[in-house]
Amino acid sequence: MNKKEIAIALGIMCMILTLILVIQIRTTNSANQIVKQTFSSNNLRDQVLKWKERYDYTYSELELAEKKIEIVRQKASENTEGSTEKEEELKKNNILIGLTDVSGEGVIVTLKDNPNVSLDSTILDPSMVIVHFGDILGIVNELKNAGAEAISINDQRVVSTTSITCEGNVINVNGEKISSPFVIKAIGSSIYMHSALTRPGGTIENLNQYIQASVKQSNNITIKKYTGIINPKYMKYAE
Amino acid sequence: MKINFDKANITMSISIAIVCVILVSVSLVQFKTVEQVNETDIETMRDEELREQISLWKSKWEEANEKLEETNSKINEYNEKLESNEEASELLDEELRKSQLILGTTDVVGDGVVITLTDTEESPIEAADLVDLINELRFAGAEAISINGVRIVNMTDIVDIDSYIIIKPSQRLVSPYVVKAIGNQTYLVSTLCLKNSGFVDKYNNSGKSVKLDKQRNIKIPKYSGTMNIKYMKEVTDK
Repeated sequence: MNKKEIAIALGIMCMILTLILVIQIRTTNSANQIVKQTFSSNNLRDQVLKWKERYDYTYSELELAEKKIEIVRQKASENTEGSTEKEEELKKNNILIGLTDVSGEGVIVTLKDNPNVSLDSTILDPSMVIVHFGDILGIVNELKNAGAEAISINDQRVVSTTSITCEGNVINVNGEKISSPFVIKAIGSSIYMHSALTRPGGTIENLNQYIQASVKQSNNITIKKYTGIINPKYMKYAE
Repeated sequence: MKINFDKANITMSISIAIVCVILVSVSLVQFKTVEQVNETDIETMRDEELREQISLWKSKWEEANEKLEETNSKINEYNEKLESNEEASELLDEELRKSQLILGTTDVVGDGVVITLTDTEESPIEAADLVDLINELRFAGAEAISINGVRIVNMTDIVDIDSYIIIKPSQRLVSPYVVKAIGNQTYLVSTLCLKNSGFVDKYNNSGKSVKLDKQRNIKIPKYSGTMNIKYMKEVTDK
């Protein structure tokens, strides 16, 4: 009887030990997989950096080439009659498109997520106190209406191909991620733009019910040029 | 006999205790395994994101490289003209035309989409709807856009004034609003026609009337106003 019991107990223990062994092997396997995964994602990370570096290098080359072309263009147009006006127009077009750094008087609008929502406030939905892409889109449209000549959002220049979208909880401008606080700079008539935004019942007053919005006038604002490339592929000149 | 029985009892209880300990540790190991499997999931998600980043930077590089080659060949052409003392006006014209194309001061043609928004009894189209649509079109890579024949340029704004939609250079728009856009048709259609969350479904579900058609050889007129620079100055030195 006694021997039988011990044998059974031993048998059970053996079984359990085997079980543990099997589980351990499986665990190690999956751990190995993780090592492999991190290895492959490290590899991917390297590739991201490599392509980014290649882009940065090519872009700085491009900037140099653009400076060079301006010099030869100027020289070439000195030889030709009537070319100086064309060269001037080209320069003006490039400023209007957003391909140059510009400065001038204007306003700086700052939009922030609202950090202090009190319990007795009428706002129930926390997503209402966050800056949404639609708020930025509204401000930009309002600034254009008030005659802005150049606009940037967190240093992303607004050009004719710029879209403002949200992906989950990040806002994308020109395909770059930006986050709160959102600083929108605009060059134009500072008095006109300021009064357009701050009029009673205007955009800023409405936004301040939920988020923190403010406008500041400034005599000297610098707006950086567009850092991407605009190269139309689908539209052609209509003859 | 009695002592023997007790001994057997002790062995039994000891082996049961051991089995219990082992079972607990087995379950612990299992928990750990499950956790690690979850981590593997996150890891693969990150991989996908990384792949996306690679293709993003790759396409950005390709674009920059294309532009660089174009600029360099133009520099060479200018230099050749300078050396041979020839007129460079043709080259300059070409560059000027390209800048006008981007700026929107030339008539253009191309394939794209036509979106028609019509006022309905219960919900008329507002300026904000058109601003939203233009933003979506730009996101989908539209190169030229017009509303009811008025070219949309970078600094175009659309606002409601006295129940009319006003667009610069001070033109009144009325329903139906025909929005034309030139660009990659596949991108434009797939972005705007996403099930439920795309512009067309979203607006139709909220009771507005939106219709989208593909069209070839869409003609979009040039901007009819003048673009003046009054306040901004180019910053030359860095």
